[in-house]
Amino acid sequence: MLEIKNLHVKLANEDRVIINGLNLSVKAGEVHAIMGPNGSGKSTLSYVLSGREGYEVTEGSVTYKGEDLLAMAPDQRAAKGVFLAFQYPIEIPGVATMQFLKVSLNSQRKSRGEKEMTTPDFMRYVKERAAKLNIGPDMLKRPVNVGFSGGEKKRAEILQMAVLEPSLCILDETDSGLDIDALRVVADGVNALRSPERAMIVITHYQRLLDYIVPDHVHVLSKGRIVKSGDKSLALELEANGYAEFTGEAA
Amino acid sequence: MNIIIPKTPAELNFGFSLPHRKMEDWRWTDLRQLIDKPYPPRQTVAAAPGDVERLLKSSPFAKIAGPRMVFVNGHYSAEHSQLQNDDVLSSLKSDEPVIHMNAAFATGGAALKISGNADAPLELVFIATDAIPRTIATRNVIEIMQGATATIIETHLGAGSYLANSVTEIVLGESARLDRIKVELEASEAIHLSHTHVRLAKNAVLNDFTLTSGAKLNRQNGTIEFQGQGVDGKISGAFMLGGQQHADTRLVIDHQVPHCTSRELFKCVMDDHARGIFQGKVMVRKDAQKTDGKQSSHALLLSETAEFDAKPELEIFADDVVCGHGATSGDLNPDHLFYLMSRGIPAAEAKSLLIAAFVGEAFDVIVHEGIKEALVKFSNKWLSQHRRAN
Repeated sequence: MLEIKNLHVKLANEDRVIINGLNLSVKAGEVHAIMGPNGSGKSTLSYVLSGREGYEVTEGSVTYKGEDLLAMAPDQRAAKGVFLAFQYPIEIPGVATMQFLKVSLNSQRKSRGEKEMTTPDFMRYVKERAAKLNIGPDMLKRPVNVGFSGGEKKRAEILQMAVLEPSLCILDETDSGLDIDALRVVADGVNALRSPERAMIVITHYQRLLDYIVPDHVHVLSKGRIVKSGDKSLALELEANGYAEFTGEAA
Repeated sequence: MNIIIPKTPAELNFGFSLPHRKMEDWRWTDLRQLIDKPYPPRQTVAAAPGDVERLLKSSPFAKIAGPRMVFVNGHYSAEHSQLQNDDVLSSLKSDEPVIHMNAAFATGGAALKISGNADAPLELVFIATDAIPRTIATRNVIEIMQGATATIIETHLGAGSYLANSVTEIVLGESARLDRIKVELEASEAIHLSHTHVRLAKNAVLNDFTLTSGAKLNRQNGTIEFQGQGVDGKISGAFMLGGQQHADTRLVIDHQVPHCTSRELFKCVMDDHARGIFQGKVMVRKDAQKTDGKQSSHALLLSETAEFDAKPELEIFADDVVCGHGATSGDLNPDHLFYLMSRGIPAAEAKSLLIAAFVGEAFDVIVHEGIKEALVKFSNKWLSQHRRAN
């Protein structure tokens, strides 16, 4: 589904290189965890995959379902099934969550040449999914993420994912700022979306999330490249020994 | 040595001087320069058949049922109205230039005394039909009696080139409530000068909203006097301007007594070469302890040639008050845009959604759902006409 080959990325307005020869291959149905210390390039990778401005790819390629992902605008990537759950979801005053979900889904459907969903159908569709994430009608009426607690924001991200049904889900530090109960709700929401057609990239600093979302592959990212790959036991090893081995610094 | 400044054609016609940029309140809107034609007052102009109906139909509120009072070229039109004037007299004395001009030239206007609860919104429609450039002045006097509530819409529409001068005096009695919605959609070649003067008695509630989107030149003054304790006043406005439009709003909130709350929120969207100005003064007099006053004006500039000037002023003479102001001006937030696009919303649509949301916050002061919907529709239409592909 996703082939990242020899990816080099720098910040657009300065020379700092953040991704430095990254290779990654993700097949449908797989869950890949990318772990790494702060500053290793985890968030940059998620932004480059979703098309945020401010980054420049200087070398390498990203192929998604056989197409050049980097040539697409963010909305085109989304319509083709790429979804990023933000580490820090953005607050959008004045746009109701329900309206946002509807415009998002129907924009994607339109772009794919599908029929737009009618309002009553859509309301049912969302409410069903929202209930599973403990999101009530009140939260859906409120402006997107405005005044939401940390946990509410993360649940709202997973609701968007459940509504948009993407093929490739990128979860950027979805566990940050969550207590154990909220983490469980979010992880259950993510696990419910696991399917043979869907791939996930779970970016995290800590092993904790991976107790709940069990990955097929674990990669260690350091200084912009993957320095070690393994199965879920690698995450436990990192938890025990820290990242010092990979960063070349003392713990 | 005295320099004698020659009078402009308009000044010669009016018989008095117009305000100019050397006067602090008029520094952005020099009427001596900007009133470019003589605009003779008190002209008798007949509307061509169908003109009034066509303009009435263009009102965003055409489909909202309710009694209407229609003024055509400055005169009451019984034919188009379902409401008649009551017996209320003007009590406003002022040297302020717009009021001065109005006092000299007003030919008509609404006089309303409202008691009880008016359920349906009353609409006052001011129409200028296409004819010779001229001054049309109207004076409204509205009294909401003790304990009464009303929703009043003031709609300004027109065609051709003219100068509309509109003064509205409003008095709210004890525990009275007024939801007022003013919509300035004058013709693109028109000038709109207005003054709204509101006096609020004890425990009165005012929800005031003004949409400014018409006329090439707009200057709107407002004075809100908080005269009784426990008053709750919300004053909001939205500018949606493009082309070469110039709109200057000057609002004075005058807290005279303790325990009142005022909230001002202005949301201004400017495209092309448009220029918006918001001058907001909050005055808290010595006796007005425990005043809670907040003012904010925010501008969104859709082009590099659009301009916004804000002049917030706080004049506080009481020592136990909570007052604040804030003003911002800028472009759409790129993080907001990316977030919407990352969910599949194309750039142009995402921008429209964000601009509509930005302006829409000013609509929140409007309680009547039908009116709010009509304005949301208007703003979406405006945005679709100003949507850029990039």
